Amino acid sequence: MKKRVAALTMAAVMTMSVIGCAPTAENAPVQKADAGADGAAPVSSQTDGGDASAAGGYGAIKLGETGTDITTTIKFIHHKTDREQDGTIAGYIAEFNKTYPNITVETEGITDYAEDALLRLQGGNWGDVMFIPAIDKAELANYYEPFGTVDEMDGYINFASTWASDNMTYGIAYMGNAQGILYNKKVFADAGVTSVPKTPDEFIAALQKIKDNTDAIPLYTNFAAGWTMGAWDAYLGAITTGDETWYNQKFVHTAEPFKDNGDGTGAYALYKILYDATAQGLIEDDYTTTDWESCKGRINNGEIGTMVLGSWAIVQMKDAGPNPDDIGYMPFPMTVNGKQYATAGPDYSFAVNKDSDADHKLAAQIFVKWMVEESGWCDFEGGYPISKSAPTSFAFDGVEVVENTAALDGEEDLLAEMNAESDLNFNNGGNTKIQDIITDAFNGTKTFDEIMADWTKEWNDAQEELEIEVLY
Amino acid sequence: MEGKVKVQVNEERSFSKWFTSRKTQRIITIACFMFIPLLLLFTFTYLPFGKMVGFSFYKMKYIGERTFVGLKNYKKVFSEPEYFSSLKLSFFYMAGALVQLAISLYLATVLSFKVKGGDIFKGFMFFPYLINGIAVGFIFKFFFTRGFVFDTVLQWCGCNVDKLPYWLRDQGVNNWSLAGTSIWRYFGQNMVLFIGAIMSVDSELYEAAMLDGCNKWQQFFYVTLPNIRTVLFLNVILSITGSLSAFEPPYVITSGANGTATYFVKMHEVAHTSQKVGQASAMAVVLLIIILFATLLQNVLLKYAFRDAEYEGPEQNVRKKKTRINTAGKGKK
Repeated sequence: MKKRVAALTMAAVMTMSVIGCAPTAENAPVQKADAGADGAAPVSSQTDGGDASAAGGYGAIKLGETGTDITTTIKFIHHKTDREQDGTIAGYIAEFNKTYPNITVETEGITDYAEDALLRLQGGNWGDVMFIPAIDKAELANYYEPFGTVDEMDGYINFASTWASDNMTYGIAYMGNAQGILYNKKVFADAGVTSVPKTPDEFIAALQKIKDNTDAIPLYTNFAAGWTMGAWDAYLGAITTGDETWYNQKFVHTAEPFKDNGDGTGAYALYKILYDATAQGLIEDDYTTTDWESCKGRINNGEIGTMVLGSWAIVQMKDAGPNPDDIGYMPFPMTVNGKQYATAGPDYSFAVNKDSDADHKLAAQIFVKWMVEESGWCDFEGGYPISKSAPTSFAFDGVEVVENTAALDGEEDLLAEMNAESDLNFNNGGNTKIQDIITDAFNGTKTFDEIMADWTKEWNDAQEELEIEVLY
Repeated sequence: MEGKVKVQVNEERSFSKWFTSRKTQRIITIACFMFIPLLLLFTFTYLPFGKMVGFSFYKMKYIGERTFVGLKNYKKVFSEPEYFSSLKLSFFYMAGALVQLAISLYLATVLSFKVKGGDIFKGFMFFPYLINGIAVGFIFKFFFTRGFVFDTVLQWCGCNVDKLPYWLRDQGVNNWSLAGTSIWRYFGQNMVLFIGAIMSVDSELYEAAMLDGCNKWQQFFYVTLPNIRTVLFLNVILSITGSLSAFEPPYVITSGANGTATYFVKMHEVAHTSQKVGQASAMAVVLLIIILFATLLQNVLLKYAFRDAEYEGPEQNVRKKKTRINTAGKGKK
């Protein structure tokens, strides 16, 4: 008996911890995007441009030609312990060694990376390639070898300016995270949806087709887990307004952030998708008893059409069943002035040790370039592409990918205060307000305009309470 | 000089006499024993409570500066419909608590007689109380899922699945479903307490009652019930305060969504999601006052209900009933 109780308790605790973990994974890139956005950090006058050319530089390296004569051993420290254990990284290195048999790569996966990496960085002698931990941009030049100028790197990779100082790029992300919608390609094909929807109306129409033509659940809300509902807030910003400064700078000063623009844009149109889908019966039948763990296998098997989650979720859905190729990721179906936007941010970034000798530096840069351009790691993780030339299955064609700009100086805490005062908690665990959209839509207790009017009132009351100037 | 010294010695003697006296020693021993528990009680109960009352007058987060706002937080508890109206949900749990007490009292009475396999039944019914509340939540989430356990069982009983409600989705049913889970979890514990109380009733009373021709129902009503009233009273108070502060079922099963957010769930959200510590403290103080009031009310009501037993005592009570029964019997003849 006791064992069974213990097992049950354990199971519950494990499930809780899994549920608890996921939103952090999702929030991380957003925070990083913010950190990356204070690009105006003070710039030191010293330039290491000369060193860069000595080591080769990202652009000058021709994979398969440059440095084939180097015989050396480099060390790579990273946080992806799961990929270290399942042999994925070892597989890439074996592949790398087919081209560069004389460069031996040692790897070390570190569990508590964010802390440990900082300590090792300070200690020096940590190896040759690492993922940049949380350091100030002004410090970059003291520790790392630049890959090239930002302008040059911009031609090869995305997020070239995230880890840049003095117009030099020091870090290259191994993958990016973007905000879009997960969908099952096979379900879309079976339903007769031939092109990816670009507006809320097209999206609802596509969901309706899925309902009419297949047995799949058109939109799985993951209502019960809670944080999966809060994930809807992540689309506020450039996606809904086309303005990357809106979320962190203008939102708190807006008088009517939830008003109907009439053209299928804005926060109004974002949450209306959920309301309409619920009112038209396009979500799961019994939303109160949804189960996060089992939804992964169900979208993989084609029982679910779409789920609204960040791109970090792609790999989990692919791994959850026999049909990884059916999982697709599309930009959020909202078009602002004829253009679709997606917000994206880099994950951890590769950087090369400044204090290694020339051979090590070159070998390390070759390794980084190979990992970014040739390995396919980013694509394997379902990430938003880093290399601009490597093949990717991330189809965000015709979409402008931007980062939400950070808050203005002195206003960093305003959004948090507004969130607390209004109890709406955007991107801050405000799951209940979105769950309420579904229950109100389902039971018909409130119209969507009434919900938005309530939010606006709470927002305005909070602005008044905190004496925030209304500018927009 | 001599005289002075003598006085001093006398004083010392009287002090040591006073110190070693039985009465003082007893007080000192008691004080020494009480000191640590009282210190712990003060540090971990009364001090934080006092702090919380203090917090309730401030606008504050966990970190950062505080602003004194007077009674504003309290006003908001009553004026914000979201906060105060969530107390209404407590009625579901109170109704559940009454059902729970009735079930457990009934089962306790049955099991306190000699029943075949009584201990096994007791074990089974007490078992849910031993399961962690979070686990209970997960069990019931699947239990109530459409087409899962509960629906299947009801189908065996001949119910048509299409006519069954969605236990957690339909807002007319979901709070009853949640209250049901807390009945399931706690009735075993109540039952064990009742069995203990019933066992301690003097068996001579039953014998006397039986000789006087009481049937089982009369025995229960006139012998058992007055004798276990202290435990009954305790259980009622625990259940009612428990239902005012219901938290685990709505938090784990529905995460407070879909009209199931009880006062406690709301308080948790205000304190941890919105980080309005002052507001949440004010809500907690209001709840405490309500619970105190409810307890007082029950005290008065139960005193009134058991006023016979209070003044006459159970034995006299039985005697009185006996005569009444006798006269009734005579009347029929």
